[in-house]
Amino acid sequence: MQKQKHLMQPIPSHDESVRQDFITDFRAFLTDEIYPKITPYYVSKIEPAFVKEKGRIPADKKEVQDIMLKDSAYQSWSFLQRISQQMMFTSVIDTVERTLEDLIEETKNYTKLGSLKLDKSLKVPRYLTAYDIHQQPGGYHTENTENDIAAGVVYDISLPIYSRDAMGDENDLLAQATINYLINNLDVKPKKILDMGCNIGNSTLPFVRAFPESEVYGIDVAAPGLRYAHARANALNASVHFSQQNAESTSFEDNTFDIVASCLLLHETSHSAIPKIINECARILKPGGWMLHLDVYPFQRNIVEPLYDFLKDWEVTNNNEDFSGVLREMDLQGIFEDAGFTKDTIQFTSAEANSDADNGYTGDFYLKLPVYVAQVAD
Amino acid sequence: MPKKVKLPRVAKGKNLVYLDDSSIDNILAMVMTLTQEISVLTDRLDTVENLMANKGQINRDDIDSFEPDDELQEKRTERRKTLLKRVLLPIEKALDSK
Repeated sequence: MQKQKHLMQPIPSHDESVRQDFITDFRAFLTDEIYPKITPYYVSKIEPAFVKEKGRIPADKKEVQDIMLKDSAYQSWSFLQRISQQMMFTSVIDTVERTLEDLIEETKNYTKLGSLKLDKSLKVPRYLTAYDIHQQPGGYHTENTENDIAAGVVYDISLPIYSRDAMGDENDLLAQATINYLINNLDVKPKKILDMGCNIGNSTLPFVRAFPESEVYGIDVAAPGLRYAHARANALNASVHFSQQNAESTSFEDNTFDIVASCLLLHETSHSAIPKIINECARILKPGGWMLHLDVYPFQRNIVEPLYDFLKDWEVTNNNEDFSGVLREMDLQGIFEDAGFTKDTIQFTSAEANSDADNGYTGDFYLKLPVYVAQVAD
Repeated sequence: MPKKVKLPRVAKGKNLVYLDDSSIDNILAMVMTLTQEISVLTDRLDTVENLMANKGQINRDDIDSFEPDDELQEKRTERRKTLLKRVLLPIEKALDSK
């Protein structure tokens, strides 16, 4: 399959291309061949040894963690999984570094549709600078050169490798799930839509496609992603108004939007940022407007399954997703209600999307992710 | 001519140790990168062989513009899986132990 999906993406050299293919297959091998062995291994070897010593099974994920982190077979998988992500980024960065000057020059040809407003004075919050989320070197925010777009390009061409080509030609399957939910469950004809934490706009563009009559906005704190987002949207013939803003406090007026959405934003923020973001959603939504936040991490379950609970947290510590574990345990219901969302409209449910092989998706992929939905009082 | 921009290649974050000590982690990381480079070499040779089968003389541009068809891509994926299976056999074995 050709790797360049639109004209703002670089074309990898032969060796870069097959180096990236190796990562796809390496990650597939870990997922399909190694990971399924962990639960049987735990059940047949780890747990019985624990029972023999303590006379009972492990009570919670902390006890499972104490044994597993000392087990070299488990730790070997865990380490391989971690470095597969690091190797993915280094394999992609080779291509981006080689082509960066030309790509930055190319952005000048892709400015006609929509707009781009950057704010040099905006401070990138500490939760994005303290460590590089999901191990992308330099994170979203690092500026390596003037008018840098590197972080955006790296993200755009890593996603197909990360997802085994499941995200589609426009890397938009996650947002398709949000839009499916919106169309099937909410009775709205949005005129103005905001995507918070839009990064390269891969989850923003589907709103332009689904609601061609609407005006679509995207905000993010990181400039490299936004510069790339604007050029990328133009290369894909979509009009979006991008601006560099923090979702905790935006410059939009009260009652501006019919829909405020985000995709994988909340778990990359912080304990103190969440209520601010939700309050901001309530403020800028019109009366009766809806917010929809799609995220990857499963909701807290009421039953305790020590091994499941331990494995579920893998990304939190091993893939630099530190806040996602905390988010799961926050009282979002209370935060939504305090912000002014109508109690009986608040839902913690699932959004689903089916990839369609004819449309650049790999055929057999079905996606179901948590979505947090609520409506502002009319 | 301005100096070529260098991008960072290491992510900022906690320095975790997985196996007995960090030097063993480093060796495993190096082994996987070497495995990746073996895969790159094999694919490059495969590209050259495929191009040569169709015409007698080729150049570097032919190699860079070569797009494997679905059948060849599948073959390569299978071959990478076999390579990974060989390299990671000790780890699979450890997880299979009863």
